[in-house]
Amino acid sequence: MSDDLVFDYRYGFKVPENYVFKSRKGLDKKLVAEISYIKKEPKWMTQFRLNAYDVFVKKQMPNWGADLTAINFDDIYYYIKPTDNTVSSWEDLPKEIKETYDRIGVPEAEKNFLAGVSAQYESEVVYKSIQKELDKIGVVFLDMDSGLREHPEIVRKYFGKLVPPADNKFAALNSAVWSGGSFLYVPKGVKVTLPLQAYFRINAERFGQFERTLIIAEEGSYVHYIEGCLLAGEKIITDQGIKNIEAIKPKDFVFTHQGRYEKVKAVMIRKYQGEIYKITPLSALNSITLTKEHPVLAIKREKVLTKRKPRNSWLPEVNTKRLIQEKPEFIPVSELKKGDFVIFPKIKDDSKKINFEFSDEEMELIGFYLAEGSAYYHKQLNQYVVTFSFSSKEKENIKKVIDLIEKIINKKANLQIIKEKNEARIQVYSKTLYDLLVENCYRHSDEKKLSELVLNQKKEKLEKLFWAYFKGDGNLSIKKNSSGSKSYLYRLSTASSILAYQIQMILNNLGIFASLRLRKGGEDKILDRNIKRKDQYIISFTKPKKWSEIRETEDYFIVPIKKIEKEFYQGEVFNLEVKNDNSYLAKGIALHNCTAPIYTTSSLHSAVVEIFVKKGARVRYTTVQNWSHNVYNLVTKRAKVEEEGVMEWIDCNIGSYVTMKYPSCVLTGRGARGEVLSIAYAAKNQHQDAGAKMLHLAPETSSRIISKSISRDGGRTSYRGLVYVAPNAKNSKVYVSCDAMLIDERSRSDTYPTMKIKNRQVEVQHEATVEKIGEEKLFYLQSRGIKKAEAEGLLVNGFIEPVTKEIPLEYTVELNRLINLEMEGSVG
Amino acid sequence: MISLKNLSVSVGEKKILKNINFNFEKNKVYALMGPNGSGKSTLASIIVGHPSYTVEEGKIFFENDDITELDVDERAKKGIFLSFQQPLSLSGVTVFQLLRLALSGKKDPLKVKEEIDFYAKKLKIKKELIERSLNDGASGGEKKKLEVLQAALLEPKFLILDEVDTGVDVDALKTIALFLDEFKKDKTVLIITHYYRILKYLQPDYVMVMIDGEIKKVGDKTLAEKIEKEGYEVIS
Repeated sequence: MSDDLVFDYRYGFKVPENYVFKSRKGLDKKLVAEISYIKKEPKWMTQFRLNAYDVFVKKQMPNWGADLTAINFDDIYYYIKPTDNTVSSWEDLPKEIKETYDRIGVPEAEKNFLAGVSAQYESEVVYKSIQKELDKIGVVFLDMDSGLREHPEIVRKYFGKLVPPADNKFAALNSAVWSGGSFLYVPKGVKVTLPLQAYFRINAERFGQFERTLIIAEEGSYVHYIEGCLLAGEKIITDQGIKNIEAIKPKDFVFTHQGRYEKVKAVMIRKYQGEIYKITPLSALNSITLTKEHPVLAIKREKVLTKRKPRNSWLPEVNTKRLIQEKPEFIPVSELKKGDFVIFPKIKDDSKKINFEFSDEEMELIGFYLAEGSAYYHKQLNQYVVTFSFSSKEKENIKKVIDLIEKIINKKANLQIIKEKNEARIQVYSKTLYDLLVENCYRHSDEKKLSELVLNQKKEKLEKLFWAYFKGDGNLSIKKNSSGSKSYLYRLSTASSILAYQIQMILNNLGIFASLRLRKGGEDKILDRNIKRKDQYIISFTKPKKWSEIRETEDYFIVPIKKIEKEFYQGEVFNLEVKNDNSYLAKGIALHNCTAPIYTTSSLHSAVVEIFVKKGARVRYTTVQNWSHNVYNLVTKRAKVEEEGVMEWIDCNIGSYVTMKYPSCVLTGRGARGEVLSIAYAAKNQHQDAGAKMLHLAPETSSRIISKSISRDGGRTSYRGLVYVAPNAKNSKVYVSCDAMLIDERSRSDTYPTMKIKNRQVEVQHEATVEKIGEEKLFYLQSRGIKKAEAEGLLVNGFIEPVTKEIPLEYTVELNRLINLEMEGSVG
Repeated sequence: MISLKNLSVSVGEKKILKNINFNFEKNKVYALMGPNGSGKSTLASIIVGHPSYTVEEGKIFFENDDITELDVDERAKKGIFLSFQQPLSLSGVTVFQLLRLALSGKKDPLKVKEEIDFYAKKLKIKKELIERSLNDGASGGEKKKLEVLQAALLEPKFLILDEVDTGVDVDALKTIALFLDEFKKDKTVLIITHYYRILKYLQPDYVMVMIDGEIKKVGDKTLAEKIEKEGYEVIS
């Protein structure tokens, strides 16, 4: 029966008009043919699948390694058509997975992806812009289905050649029912420095449980993974005011591009070496510095131009209406130019946590205090003193402040006029007033800043504060424009940088975009007296708004970029991972945050990865696997490495019920090099059977295997390695190191190293250790105030450090975090 | 600051401390001396909360709170610090990582970094040593310096220095001792030592002598001089 179907299909499978594929459990030949039909694949692929199905049926289950007897092949969905995806929401996922990912913070986009809710999300924009870059240099980076559709000849040449269906039962299964995965082709001599991450791929196309990945790196090419982060010192808006990015901690709340506060899931620090970009918007002090691929919420000028030709050497003119209507996108900073626009989201009252209200008078007095106040404790008198100093001409302000004081503390302040200085000094002894002012704005002029309590007041209250402050410290200049109408320039200056940013935030809250710049201090001469001037931060804005260069919508200000500078940087960079909105504001500018891992709910994951590393090419493939604890993760990964080529597998296994995975390098050319760095972590009911295979088939080849495994709470890890050195592979080098760490007595670790060395001119080094996590080390760390679970995490992360230091940041952080979470979860 | 009430401690079957009653006054410097195996380090360990030691009887109070049952890390959070006699090396863990975690929520990571650099300079600790795994390939003196550096960042109220002067060369001892002399202000310090030389710098207010798990004598610093010259026989 099923043979007829195949026959029919090959010559034009007769399908009724209203044919609908129904997802069903179990596997037969008909399903295999149907998958191929739905995907409109070429005949050779259909045949390949059907042959593979036959192999799958005939092949025995592996009788070594982990226990796979519980797999029921009839109880699995092998193909789910995207349109009738059965998981309809995040809520339907297993509780355990949801909790884990809620804790480490999965971007909303991926949640949606996972849930099959195909929403419009920002990362698609990022993906597209990267895709464009890749197109330019001839790199093909597609999901495997599209790869087959668009590049059938390349796929046919390589697909299944390195891992044929007959390799093992699960490779055969994957070959029969594969769906999704990546196709990456790097042409000769092309070095890809752009971030190529699974994350982007997922967003672009479905990710399946039987995914198939094919990478071809032509002669002399290079592919690797990187990601984007911020430099230290960037000012981030949080619910506790403005903080430096490096001072932000997980669980802090930061302001996002959606105009609300969201929780920080993680703070990432990594070493960076490469280009960084400094964007300076109209407001010079709001310049930010980013690593080159960091996405910034922006609008490209070229999208919103008028039809008029640019005048002189000016930038082409912008159509304001179009600018306001254009939807901002997350664009990598390296693609932004002078004249493009960045987005400053508006801060709105409903995003604030107002848990205490100041009176109008208090807010106004705080405003005056910011401008002219000081406070101290008088020791001899045992009195708290608050002083305001005005010029004796500022009669209105003087009266106002005395009034305010009286209203707040019901006490008349003392006014003293110092004639020779033209100074009016208002002084009052009051602990209440002292506390109000010092607690909410600090003491000295260069360190004045507002408390969180004040910043979280309602708009009307902040308005009171601002105008009082302006009366004290501001100045207004009027400018007549050519058309005869007037514009007003409001200006304020302060010695406190934090206060300057806070005032900018308050003005934002009042619907006003103020720009900030710095007036450098230094030596100066006034009336023949040498004085030292402090740095002054100048806050300014123009009214009416049409005379300003800033445009706005209901939700954000659109601010032109005045300058973009590029430089080389070496040092630490920071990034945040933020819940829900995946963004945060650095000095008011909206940025996209970091990325997160891959997961699924299925019970069998069986992927195949084939990589062709041509002469002198180099490929690095990094995986951090954190499958749910009911998944059999059975993956075949193999690379063929030609002359002088380099293949690096970095493979970290934390999740799953059972993993069997042994990334391999077939070193076929002289001088080829293969490397596997792996981490396995097994907790309760988990078995990680992982390792590596290195086949030296040519002279002067070298391989390095570093395996680190951790077992706890009854978990089991096995290292299974094979190194084969052929008789002709003279002068080859082999290095194998496998270290196991046991956290408790119940856990288990085994090592199965196999070495088949067929010639004598080979240098072989093999090291293996097993250690128990020491009580004394834990005690030592705990005695420093670190909780036991955190101490274990620190020691485990220290143990795997030789591998993690080789991994791109997002994975390292992910890994450390996951391990810390696992540790935490297992205590108590 | 810390008071020990009828404290008896054993490890396994062996009773090590016998009915100790002692009150450490706030901001005083104590020297604890005594022959090897007399129970000095046990006293340090039990105050910090080492899990291998069992309190058979009695209680430990810290600022009037009973901490006898408290976990090690919670005692540390209250302000008790032990500079270990033999600090362990921790592979893959730098002093920065350790202190960042220990101080998370209290000090910004960048501040932690700055302070580490500052104190490392003051204590003459080589830069490579700070960047390497903690105590990895460090000499005796360097290890002790790294202990003191951790104390400097953690700012404890009660500082126990368990033989901070053993395995340390003359120059390192001087550096450590001068640093501690400045650092001891506003802290209660318990120095466990066999030698008088460090006490010359640190000027203890009290010298306690422990023999066979009991505090046999408490005196001023002249007691330490006497012991240095004549040995522990002077006690009995």
